[in-house]
Amino acid sequence: MRRRSLTLRQLLSFLLSIVAAAPLLRALPSSPAAQKTALHLDGAPADPFSTASGKPVVLVFVRTDCPISNRYAPLIQGISSQYGSKVALWLVYPSRTTSSEKIRQHERHYGYRLPALRDPQHALVTQAQVQVTPEAAVFDANHHLLYHGRIDDLYQDFGHARSAATTHELDDAIRAALSGKTPPPNRPGVGCYIADLE
Amino acid sequence: MHAAQQATFNRDIAPILFQYCAPCHRPGEAGPFPLLTYREAKARARQIAAVTSKRFMPPWLPEPQELRFADELRLSDEQIALIQKWVEQGTVEGAPADLPPAPQFVPGWQLGRPDGIIEAEKPYTLPASGSDMYWNFIFRTPVDRTRWLKAIEIRPGDKRVVHHANILVDRNQSARRLEAEPRAGFPGMELKIESENFDPDSHFLFWKPGTVPKPEPEGMSLRLDKDTDLVLNIHLQPSGKPEKIQPNLGLYFTDKPATHFPLLLQLENDKQLDIPPDEKRFLVTDEFTLPVDVDLLAIYPHAHYLGKDLQALATLPDGSAKTLIHIPQWNLNWQAVYRYADPVPLPKGTTISMRYIYDNSSENLANPNDPPRRVVAGNRSSDEMAHLWLQVLPRVSSNADFDPRMLLQETMARHNLEKNPTDFEAHYNLAAMLQARGAQAEAIQNFELAVRLRPQDATANNALGASLLAAGRIGEALPYLNAALRAQPDNFDAHYNLASALASQDKFLEAIAQYRAAIRLHPDDANAEANLGSALAETGKLSEAKLHFQRALRIDPHHKLARENLEQINRDPKSLQQ
Repeated sequence: MRRRSLTLRQLLSFLLSIVAAAPLLRALPSSPAAQKTALHLDGAPADPFSTASGKPVVLVFVRTDCPISNRYAPLIQGISSQYGSKVALWLVYPSRTTSSEKIRQHERHYGYRLPALRDPQHALVTQAQVQVTPEAAVFDANHHLLYHGRIDDLYQDFGHARSAATTHELDDAIRAALSGKTPPPNRPGVGCYIADLE
Repeated sequence: MHAAQQATFNRDIAPILFQYCAPCHRPGEAGPFPLLTYREAKARARQIAAVTSKRFMPPWLPEPQELRFADELRLSDEQIALIQKWVEQGTVEGAPADLPPAPQFVPGWQLGRPDGIIEAEKPYTLPASGSDMYWNFIFRTPVDRTRWLKAIEIRPGDKRVVHHANILVDRNQSARRLEAEPRAGFPGMELKIESENFDPDSHFLFWKPGTVPKPEPEGMSLRLDKDTDLVLNIHLQPSGKPEKIQPNLGLYFTDKPATHFPLLLQLENDKQLDIPPDEKRFLVTDEFTLPVDVDLLAIYPHAHYLGKDLQALATLPDGSAKTLIHIPQWNLNWQAVYRYADPVPLPKGTTISMRYIYDNSSENLANPNDPPRRVVAGNRSSDEMAHLWLQVLPRVSSNADFDPRMLLQETMARHNLEKNPTDFEAHYNLAAMLQARGAQAEAIQNFELAVRLRPQDATANNALGASLLAAGRIGEALPYLNAALRAQPDNFDAHYNLASALASQDKFLEAIAQYRAAIRLHPDDANAEANLGSALAETGKLSEAKLHFQRALRIDPHHKLARENLEQINRDPKSLQQ
């Protein structure tokens, strides 16, 4: 554990040196604890917004061992394929303990072909205001949170699934982000509580 | 514990999880994650609190009632409150000394190494997404003579995607016709297994997550004949990735043949099922009065996705009423066979009533139709059903000269005909019952009604032909046997019966052709071989006849007709040649 936090500090300072070159030295001692960040699977800090190059950012929060988010895998992959280059879509794994290797394996097993991030410090969880897996967050090109919550209404509660969804909030929210129309109201998802991962 | 006290995992929560959750929530079992340690429970704490407070977990549908079920999986209100408190107080681990010993589970086959293991011949690959799937695997049983089973352990494959599984005994290999590709299995939620003899299936062979198989009670073993198929019907839920399912069955034999014969009684009223869209409380009922004393052993209510409130009551002859089961929030995903902790005595004259309420509004989340539409009875999961199965053991009085199961079956068939005079199966079953107890005229009458309802049905045509044949009305039998073969050219019984009919009319050449056709379908049927031998002998082909008598004797060394005829040929070939 100790070694991981050390690496993180070093990498973080590297990131800062790019984003804000001037206060580099002054930021070093105080910022790592205060500033949380998500990680690429190779361990490098990740900021899905800085790399979005003006596109809407879509984050879909999943867990390797959450049966409900797993059941959504084909749908999530389908949305990713459908909107492809128009949005920056990421899978986000908020677990603190799930290794990158396990995440890669999970992506292979479930046929995911979209990039994944780890969010062990819940930097993106906080930003996206999500509570459970699977939930999604859609940010417009200016990084404003347009929608957060369920992907669709397949599940109303644990054990109460429809045979098919009748509303499609994530899809609607992405269309809203692309067209500038009103996003759907936020609706909580049904699934595995992210807070349980603390 | 006192209200003010701190709830801890080790003292308060672990005993609940170990008893109620761990049987499924452990590696290799149906639960999607293990719940065996503090860390595992803490990583799901809010979820555990949420699902237990809504009584989604542990899955147990019936309301508490006076008649207790075996292995009830229902948390008390106090246990649920304790879990809430533990989470609210911050999921404290507590003193190590308070932790009860970890639960012990038997690894692998739960009843020890089976006497026989059969694996589905071809796996089924469940797609990654889509709605629930129902698949049927046909297992050819590995017995070369009649054996008795004391238990079958079902290993359904990946337990995380299998919601429940059910075995049907197919003594006529009738399900094989449903396979598009031989040995690949076939889809379908409900299936009907034909049984031509009085041989009702009498056992619930059911698997749901967490099931520990139990041997059948003493004296209630299940007969397994050579060439019997076991059809495993499984309900699968897509997991997000393709899953290969290849179930196994473990067979446990016993030397003790059955001495007690339970029976599955079915109340139903599918005919009443015609539910308009948006109807929230559609009532379906059926009532059956027992003609004999029985002990009720187990109960299995069954509806599809519109079922809401399912109830069964028994009103005894003294007027007292007992709730047999009440499920106020039906959920098809957690359907189960419920066994009573103790057999429930129900005297002759007890009326069993089924009372099911269906919700065809969009408020019913499980409604497969959006928007709701009219739903009637049917086998597809988007159709409905109103079934209640009861496993009963008829009380046999010592001086009874009849089989109480037959009276139950006959009464049930007559009851079904009252509900629905055009019920093909009821006519067929009643006729079979009547035939078995020698009421030939009424049997023929009911087989005729069955054939009139389904003129193309091979089984019914064959049965009518056979009963006419048994009554000596050979000329009348022929058209029905021919009709059976037109409908189903590979019907062994119809070939055999037609051959016998032709032989009794001395049309031996035609009879020989039919016996040969029958033998091509079942090469190891001693009766067909012996009869073919006899027909050949009648036409003077003695050496060929001998060959078939010998074959019959190889199949069944005690075959009387084959032995006697063979002896006669050997003794006095000339007398047969005239």
